[in-house]
Amino acid sequence: MIEVRNLVKFYQSEPVLRDLSFSVAPGEIFGVVGQSGAGKSTLLRCFNGLEPYQSGSVQVMGREVARLRDKELKELRRDMGMIFQNFCLMNRKNVFENVAFPLRVWESHPALPKRVRRFLGIGETADARTRARVMELLELVGLADKRFERVQNLSGGQKQRVGIARALALNPKILLCDEATSALDPGTTLDILQLLQDINAHFRLTLVVVTHQMEVVKRICHRLLLLDKGAGLRLGRTEDLFLSPGGMGRFADEEYARLPSGVNIRLLFPREIARQAVIAAMARDLGLSFPIVGGKLEHYIDDVLGFLIINVPEENLDTVYGYLREKNLRWEALDDA
Amino acid sequence: MLEALLGALSETLYMVFFATLFSSIGGFGLAIFLILTGPHGLRPRPGIYAALDAVVNLLRSFPFMILMIALIPFTRTVAGVAYGSTAAIVPLTVAAIPFMARLVEGSLLEVDPGVVEAARSFGASDGQIIFQVMVREAMPSIVLNVAVLAIALLGYSAMAGAIGGGGLGALAYNEGYIRFRADMMLGAVAVLILVVQCIQICGNRIYKKLR
Repeated sequence: MIEVRNLVKFYQSEPVLRDLSFSVAPGEIFGVVGQSGAGKSTLLRCFNGLEPYQSGSVQVMGREVARLRDKELKELRRDMGMIFQNFCLMNRKNVFENVAFPLRVWESHPALPKRVRRFLGIGETADARTRARVMELLELVGLADKRFERVQNLSGGQKQRVGIARALALNPKILLCDEATSALDPGTTLDILQLLQDINAHFRLTLVVVTHQMEVVKRICHRLLLLDKGAGLRLGRTEDLFLSPGGMGRFADEEYARLPSGVNIRLLFPREIARQAVIAAMARDLGLSFPIVGGKLEHYIDDVLGFLIINVPEENLDTVYGYLREKNLRWEALDDA
Repeated sequence: MLEALLGALSETLYMVFFATLFSSIGGFGLAIFLILTGPHGLRPRPGIYAALDAVVNLLRSFPFMILMIALIPFTRTVAGVAYGSTAAIVPLTVAAIPFMARLVEGSLLEVDPGVVEAARSFGASDGQIIFQVMVREAMPSIVLNVAVLAIALLGYSAMAGAIGGGGLGALAYNEGYIRFRADMMLGAVAVLILVVQCIQICGNRIYKKLR
């Protein structure tokens, strides 16, 4: 669906994207993660030509973005919806008109007032089609009853629903999400992610999700690209990256920067181990006790997985290592902070 | 005296109305060019923008009296005569166009760039973005700026009395100041205050309605 090869982009002489190569498969939810300033949003804007790039290639649905002419670029954009962190809705229009706007842009006589169009006998069927399409979209995002509401009066989550409906108006093949949940509270974030997953499943829509929120990536992304200062650090299946030792580098660890001194071991719980009481069993088998100093159990797409960090005294280290190897658990020793 | 005031008022309103109308149109057009070619515009053209920018600044730095006198030959060509209310509309308009252009440029720059980007993201053309997104979103603020423009023109129109434009300013000066008619002066000033109030209230009302 999207093929990126050796992509390089500069702002003046500052490199913002350094030699990226990856591809996004049809129907998948592809995540681009990284800290702010890593170049995620810029990368996303290279896909629909909102940002130019200097070398390398970005092919979207077989078309090289940089080589498209004005009209072709518009047609490409018609096939790609986009949603934004700040929703970017038109405040002076109501919900209905915001969703209808992309359709009006692509109508053949959008600029003429209704009365003129009626006089000329054009645009009537287009109007009916627009109305039906907008209502269908508003039903989908659950805002049909708010159609005459001004967008200023909506909550953040509702605004993003309007944004999603607008992005889907032209039946795109790809949906670009630029930090779409970063301005929302945790509960609303989950609702919006659920909606995005439903859309992905029902319409076989390809999603590219740019975010700095780990929960978002883990919850919905099938595969992901980890960006650091414009360079691709990791690329792979979400589960593999999160569960392989060091897979997400420092990125996932940041919340656990303050660990007690001594040796801290991170135990990873992939699917097959998650339901066993590993820690309790180890404590019992070895006759040792150790504090749990950090950890997280989370939903990866639809499984409970995660990790725990335990603090082990020097003298018991070998015993513990031996046990972990013997039981074939996944683990890593963390560097002293 | 009432008759003199009413006559002067109608001349003032005549000048201000048409000057506001023409300079709104001209200033609006110029603002669109400034926005299009500006540094963050849809079609950045640094050269064209710098030239337009310089012309706008140049025209705005002229004292109105001097501009009015310098424009007399031009006024005669356009209006047929060089004095009178109709003739005064010409220098008023020329002076107000760059002013209005700056005000509208400011209004359009206030439009959230994200909304413009969103419109680009689903394939809107530059024309659609300018007229259906930017102008539409900026409309309340543009209306307020038209009120600012009309009030500024009211002040200029008083000076336009100098080339026989007539109006309340001319009445206050010729009758009130030169002929020591304090009542005439006060009357003219009172009417001017009323007109300013009316324009501002109208502007605010429309602004609230549009928001």
